[in-house]
Amino acid sequence: MQLEQRRQRTLAASIRWQMGIFGAYFAQFIKTRLAYRMDFFVDTFGVMVSIIIQLAVLTTLFGKVTALQGWTFEQVLFIYGFSLVPLGIFNIISVNLYQFADRYLIQGKFDRVLLRPVNTLAQVLCESFNVSGLNEIVLGTAIVIWSGMRMQLEVGALDVLAVLVMGPTAALVYLGVFLGITSISFWIEDKMGIAPPVYNVIRFSRYPLTIYSLPVRVLLTFVLPFAWVAFYPASWFIGEGNLHSVAALTPLVGLVVFSGAVLLWRRGVANYTSTGS
Amino acid sequence: MTALAHVLEPWHRSARATAGLYGHFIRLAFLKYLAYRLRYYTGVISYTIFVSGYYYLYTALFESRVPGPDGVATMGGLTVQEMVTYIAVGWIGRSFYFNNIARELMHQIQEGQIAMQLVKPFDVQAVMTFEAAGESAFRLLMFTLPISVVIVPLFGINLPEDPALLGWTVVSFILSLMVYSQINFLTGCLAFYMKNISGVLRAKMVSADFLNGLLIPFSFFPEWFQTAVGFLPFQAVGYIPVTIYLGKRPGNELWIALGIQAAWAVGLYLAGRVVWKRSVRTVIVQGG
Repeated sequence: MQLEQRRQRTLAASIRWQMGIFGAYFAQFIKTRLAYRMDFFVDTFGVMVSIIIQLAVLTTLFGKVTALQGWTFEQVLFIYGFSLVPLGIFNIISVNLYQFADRYLIQGKFDRVLLRPVNTLAQVLCESFNVSGLNEIVLGTAIVIWSGMRMQLEVGALDVLAVLVMGPTAALVYLGVFLGITSISFWIEDKMGIAPPVYNVIRFSRYPLTIYSLPVRVLLTFVLPFAWVAFYPASWFIGEGNLHSVAALTPLVGLVVFSGAVLLWRRGVANYTSTGS
Repeated sequence: MTALAHVLEPWHRSARATAGLYGHFIRLAFLKYLAYRLRYYTGVISYTIFVSGYYYLYTALFESRVPGPDGVATMGGLTVQEMVTYIAVGWIGRSFYFNNIARELMHQIQEGQIAMQLVKPFDVQAVMTFEAAGESAFRLLMFTLPISVVIVPLFGINLPEDPALLGWTVVSFILSLMVYSQINFLTGCLAFYMKNISGVLRAKMVSADFLNGLLIPFSFFPEWFQTAVGFLPFQAVGYIPVTIYLGKRPGNELWIALGIQAAWAVGLYLAGRVVWKRSVRTVIVQGG
């Protein structure tokens, strides 16, 4: 009876219903974390130190040159700050992807996920959050604003809107790539897999794409499209004019990458056989 | 009565038995990591990615540098070729001396296994140091060698002009392992006082790579900062071996550099003993 009622819900109502459930997931998660308040501060400390070190690296290097292949200190800093925002969003929601093969497939937690009448992917993503990703978002935004002010960028309403759209959709690029990799573990059982090397490629997205050789640029634009996380969207504001229109493609790239990964995920779920544990 | 005293006397072992015991931990660690060797194949790719990233960053930087009067751009006393060698040798060395003692110690303390370690008739710090040596022996074979085979030809890394320097670099990296394992042991001891040190460990890892000189050579830093890092043990982990490889420590400076490393290794080991003795008193193991 109830099941039939649910089927009759409109799409909008269904989404609203699911959102309510994931709101509850998040509230529960916050409650469990509040028992370990200190952890948040300790993790925050870790994130802050790594960002400070990265800033120290950039400052030291720019003590030696006036520009990095034509890119000024403020421009490089802008790209770096911009890269932190999608990274923070991604880090908040993606912790479970990293351990997915081990926890859900090998240990069998995925059976429980399948029994519930809610979207499987959303369940896996929402069962755990990494709150310290907030630090990356806040500090990244601060770095972007500071370097933008130093460059005396003129910011209009359209630019603000562009940032609000490009930031989250750029995070979809990260999410899509790693969701795709995670989905592969439905077919190939492997605890760690190829995620760590790919995760390490993320650091390439911090710097202007033009410092890399052509094959690497092609790789970062089309294969592991991390150039869309910071460099292309940031070129809305900085650099030569001919990239401005490219920046506007960021939401499209994010959606395409993420949709592809979701399709792969769905095939993986259909392919799933329980370990029986 | 005398027989009982003999039984109760702790750790009544001949020197040979003690050497055998600790040597056993080198072997055990080697075998343990051998079981996880698959993980290191992706590690080879990761390290190649790290070196490539810095390769591009630094070549771009040198191209943007105004050349000196002889037409060669230098920075911090290094040419671009030396800089690439610096990065490559630094990361190759890291693949050897790196270990996770601090994290292991944290898990043992959090999960109460530390109680079992304390009951056993050995010195925990020494065991962990020997395990680190076993891990590094494994890493040398399964990680450092494959990485060298990939990175050296890929980035055209040259051997030092004086082949003896290669040998001294190896000696220096072995001392790095000693210093690094003791730094990690001391960091791990923090877990006696804090429940969760994963943030501290993350901060330590990135700041160690920076203070090691792995990310930027010390000679790039402003004068005051060079002086400051000279007082820290981290230079004995990364900076000294790489500068030895590059021939930047001629004559007596080589012996001084190796002496600094040895002094830090011994000093930190002794500091570790003191901290350990104090920390162990605070342990409360619940159940188990």
